[in-house]
Amino acid sequence: MRIVIAEDSVLLLEGLTRLLVAEGHVVTGHRTADALVAALGDPDADLPDAVVTDVRMPPTHTDEGLRAAVHLRGLHPRLPVLVLSQYVEQRYARELFAADARGLGYVLKDRVADVDDFLAALARVAAGGTVVDPEVVAQVLARSTRSALDALTPREREVMALMAEGRSNSAIADRLVVGLPAVEKHVTSILTKLDLPPDSDDHRRVLAVLRWLEDGPTNGAPR
Amino acid sequence: MRGGEGPVPVSRGRPFVVRGGRAVTGGRATAAGGVGLAHPADVGGHGCAGPGPGPTFEVMTESPAPPAAPTAPRVPAWAPGRGPAPTTAPAGPTARPAGRTDVVPLVADVRLVAPALTGGRALALAPVSAATWRAVGQLVVAALWTGTVAVVLLTGAAVGVSLALLVVGLPVLVLTLALARGYGRAERSRLAAQLGADVPAPARPVRRPGFRGWWLRTVDGRAWAAVAHASVAATLSWTAVALVAALGAVGLVAGVELVVPTVRDALQIDPWGWAVLVLPVGLWGAALVAQGATLLQLRMSRALLGGRSRAEAEQAAQAAEQRAEDAEVRAVRLRETRTAAVEAADAERRRIERDLHDGAQQRLVALGVELGVARRAVAGDPEAAARALETAHAEVKEVLAELRDLVRGVHPAVLTDRGLDAALSALAARSPVPVRVDAAGLGYGAPASSSAQAAAYFVVAEALTNVAKHAGATSATVCADVVGAGPDARLRVRVGDDGRGGAQAAPGGGLDGLRRRVEALDGSFDLVSPAGAGTVLTVEVPCAS
Repeated sequence: MRIVIAEDSVLLLEGLTRLLVAEGHVVTGHRTADALVAALGDPDADLPDAVVTDVRMPPTHTDEGLRAAVHLRGLHPRLPVLVLSQYVEQRYARELFAADARGLGYVLKDRVADVDDFLAALARVAAGGTVVDPEVVAQVLARSTRSALDALTPREREVMALMAEGRSNSAIADRLVVGLPAVEKHVTSILTKLDLPPDSDDHRRVLAVLRWLEDGPTNGAPR
Repeated sequence: MRGGEGPVPVSRGRPFVVRGGRAVTGGRATAAGGVGLAHPADVGGHGCAGPGPGPTFEVMTESPAPPAAPTAPRVPAWAPGRGPAPTTAPAGPTARPAGRTDVVPLVADVRLVAPALTGGRALALAPVSAATWRAVGQLVVAALWTGTVAVVLLTGAAVGVSLALLVVGLPVLVLTLALARGYGRAERSRLAAQLGADVPAPARPVRRPGFRGWWLRTVDGRAWAAVAHASVAATLSWTAVALVAALGAVGLVAGVELVVPTVRDALQIDPWGWAVLVLPVGLWGAALVAQGATLLQLRMSRALLGGRSRAEAEQAAQAAEQRAEDAEVRAVRLRETRTAAVEAADAERRRIERDLHDGAQQRLVALGVELGVARRAVAGDPEAAARALETAHAEVKEVLAELRDLVRGVHPAVLTDRGLDAALSALAARSPVPVRVDAAGLGYGAPASSSAQAAAYFVVAEALTNVAKHAGATSATVCADVVGAGPDARLRVRVGDDGRGGAQAAPGGGLDGLRRRVEALDGSFDLVSPAGAGTVLTVEVPCAS
């Protein structure tokens, strides 16, 4: 795959580059969001297979990377983008996933250290899937006062977090060390409790969870 | 400065491209561009590097508000001090209208002690009125009492003053004046007891500390006024007693003559004409003299022994106003410095957050990646795994060094453990520019509080950083000592260099943050940095702050 990285920390940029190159990818690195936009901002630009971008970058060190990602997605709706962030904020997630969640990922930077998970998430995003950091889900779960969430059992919450990561039922079963039928039962239960349409497609399931997350805490729930 | 400024080789226009395992990165040299450890707080903190046509310099002289002095300036020595109640004078038994405090009108005194002077019935009954007998009684007592006192006081004062130069006179003088003040108190009580007249005491002189305060209290003008009062009162009362006695005797003789025929016959003069003329002159004259003298004495007592009434009240009010003004100024300043302190602390927290985010946190993520790479490679490509582990190891050491620096920036352990002297030496040892430290002055004087020491430490740390970064100096000096004593003791640090000068504490800069920190401690911050002539930064903070 051809991968473009925007990351202001030289160390991390080098590390990621080395990691991805070792995996056989072709990597282009940028140190600012502006440079990233300059490289891919042309409607006719030669698009890579995936973009990995940091959120906080020069010059203002706030959310340049996120804005660049939203901007690039506006230009190239099909460009897969994986956003790495030091802090995972639900608000950022909502901004990012507002239009179309296909081929989008938003994960905590620390996850990069779990090299396998990181590579898997990158592959899922590049293939058009959606990845949401479990932390975002956890934030919603921690904050929400909606009775529907309270109705979820702890096990179902775990399953939902894994669903939000874009994992399939069998992947979830592996992770939780349970049988596939048990996972299927949990998923059905979750979707029923959250009043979401049952769906077998992994990506659609993530979308469903996301939609619920987006609507959830904003509807009258105290922050 | 923070990344993004200046060309960043990796990103500007020419992205680096890696193909098939050969990485061409910007390399470590670019680290300063993006991961730099500087932060916006530093920008503009040092004028020397400014791009302007010539270095500008600005001397920040911020003298602190004087600490609440025991007495505000302009408060006269006798005015009420910091006492809780702003009493202009002790209130008498009867409330008097505000604004005319203690001013007893003459008419009131006339009615009280000399009603005969109001004429009419009181004049007609003067020889037999109670007021007359009270007046005669107090005149007799006054003659004996003030006469004795006057002799003692005048003798004491004369001896004391004339021998004052020989020192032996001083104790006599002090004793005399103490007696005089006692006399004043006794005399006011006597007037209250014998005449029912309330003479308000003068306000107490302000209690100032030290010998000077005691001396000023001792030779207070009111004591001398009491000496004068005793002398005049003695003269007045003796004269009045003599006159009253003479007139009374004449009147009585005339009266007796009128009543007793044998006496009239014995004198062999025209009785009716003489007696009728002399009798009223004697009796009424004696009564009027007694009452008049008493009135005179009361008024004199009010003037010499009483409070200086209106003038005193006005001055006290002025002093109170001044104190209120001072307090207001102080409150405004406290508000400002408190806000500045909160802002400075906030900026400091942001700096720490950025340092952690851009430094340790990124390094740890990178470290995680390296270790992840090593773990994946350990079976298939042991050599790659070893390389990754080596990188990770180096990374760990760097992140430790960085955390150590960061922790020191938050609060240096050596300052807590070994004190300011050792902490300053440690700073000097780390400075690339040779620094001579003179902290001998710290051993004397009051020990400074930990916040004062921390402020001094960070001032020196920032100043030495600036010296190394911007001044182009060949040497620097750090001098720390304690000036003043007691509650006014101040910890002073001075950092000087022989560099190019032109430094200034620009708003938002590192020096400015320190200035605000120092001001929040009621300290002073003085930066003198003429272009081309080195820089001297002097900071003083109260030891007790």
